[in-house]
Amino acid sequence: MNANGVPGGGLAKGLAITLRTMTRRSHTQQYPDVSPELPPRSRGVIALLEENCTVCMLCARECPDWCIYIDSHKETAAVPGAARPRQRNVLDRFAIDFSLCMYCGICVEVCPFDALYWTPEFEYAEYDIRDLLHEKDRLGEWMATVPPPPAHDPNGEPAKEEAAARKAAGPVAS
Amino acid sequence: MQDMTADSLREVTVGTGAGLAPGAGDGQQLGADMVLNIGPQHPSTHGVLRLKLVLDGERVVSCEPIVGYMHRGAEKLFEVRDYRQIIVLANRHDWLSAFSNELGVVLAVERLMGLEVPERAVWLRTALAELNRVLNHLMFLGSYPLEIGAITPVFYAFRERETLQAVMEEVSGGRMHYMFNRVGGLKEEVPAGWTRRARAAIDEVRRRLPNLDNLIRRNEIFLARTVGVGVLSAEDAAAYGASGPVARASGLDFDLRRDEPYLAYGELDVPVVTRTAGDCHSRFEVLLDQVYVSLDLASACLDRVDRIQGPVNVRLPKVVKAPEGHTYAWTENPLGVNGYYLVSRGEKTPWRMKLRTASYANVQALTKLIPGCLVPDLIAILGSMFFVVGDIDK
Repeated sequence: MNANGVPGGGLAKGLAITLRTMTRRSHTQQYPDVSPELPPRSRGVIALLEENCTVCMLCARECPDWCIYIDSHKETAAVPGAARPRQRNVLDRFAIDFSLCMYCGICVEVCPFDALYWTPEFEYAEYDIRDLLHEKDRLGEWMATVPPPPAHDPNGEPAKEEAAARKAAGPVAS
Repeated sequence: MQDMTADSLREVTVGTGAGLAPGAGDGQQLGADMVLNIGPQHPSTHGVLRLKLVLDGERVVSCEPIVGYMHRGAEKLFEVRDYRQIIVLANRHDWLSAFSNELGVVLAVERLMGLEVPERAVWLRTALAELNRVLNHLMFLGSYPLEIGAITPVFYAFRERETLQAVMEEVSGGRMHYMFNRVGGLKEEVPAGWTRRARAAIDEVRRRLPNLDNLIRRNEIFLARTVGVGVLSAEDAAAYGASGPVARASGLDFDLRRDEPYLAYGELDVPVVTRTAGDCHSRFEVLLDQVYVSLDLASACLDRVDRIQGPVNVRLPKVVKAPEGHTYAWTENPLGVNGYYLVSRGEKTPWRMKLRTASYANVQALTKLIPGCLVPDLIAILGSMFFVVGDIDK
């Protein structure tokens, strides 16, 4: 205790901090009234862009705890001018069980057709764990909340979206 | 049936709780001493660690940590997951040092594959690992005083945690389980302006940290509860394989960042914080001083990141396979030495991946540390061992 010099010095120092903090603005965030500002990469919930899904099942297979359920059937459509009718996969069911999901983002990463996106949306708590199994219509609704990805640091490589857009725009006349 | 003797039918309790069976070895609990179970559901163990204590009045005669209540079979799960899925699982055993946990996995796989990681990724990883260390330490700097009755510091610690977590969330999308490492580098490039904002957050935390420091470090009540309590000698720390802040507080001057540099630590000057007293207070002080060191290291790394151009990962085939062989990658995690022994038979999953965790080794020292102490000091000692139960039980 004599390390402090005066007896009670350590306590006084602490109380001084408390007193100083008392005069400052508090750090409390008024959550339900003011929604938090979340970065675009924030992993809140997974949204599904149904039109892009080709039922390749990569996401369901790569998921570490298999929480994605996919059902589909094949449809044959006659294409004018083609010799044979084409077959295509039609998505019947796409569901993610968020009570199992570990929020790792592997499904979003492996999707070759950009059908899955992260969104910072997080207000989907339920009273019953079974209600956390969300079907494709609910997953589709979240698409509206997907933010644009942030621009990359100029020292690094540009984002793949940026590179793809540049390629699509064609060579730049210089 | 008749030739089965009574002896062969004797019921023997094995596994957890075996010590409670009369005649199981220590011969102490036949009514003479009081056996007290702390946990597995006890708030001071922050998790499901169970301690079996034999008491003589207020004094603890012997202590046996009984682990395994949160065993999730991480090692066995690793054997049926590919290397990207392993990162998901690996960052969960010690949920306060997720980034460092991921790091060990990818370092092991990269070494087996002979991959050269881009320089920019190496420096970014180092910066993020140090930020993760600060986040981990701030958690304990808040919760430890809380456990022994000082309620205020946790609010200061969590304010700083929140500042840094915003930085981590912006870059990786996660607040705890970052999932930002990949074999060959990082998941993706950092957002534009992130290094500037990260540096600002670090400066902010460095500026406000003296508040937490002044609040608790030399508080008389805190000193009375911790100084000279639970002294662990350097020999015992070494004998039990303790590492990290717990061992350094006992004077065991060992830090992998300096002694066997990985990532970019070889090019950095890593000051190793040590104490010699080995009591609860010096363990707390090591943690507090390491926060200052890690903040400096992180901003030094960010300065380098700003000067390096290039990619942050290596293009790899869709299926990553580690070639046949074995390697042991160890890293200085916030809580101590964390190692992965990876044995691969050239498949996309490891044949075996052994996990050496810091907390598991550190809590073993409780057997030595607790006997002789008083029951009221137990909480002070237990809290000062800085463990995460997930890291013990794996």
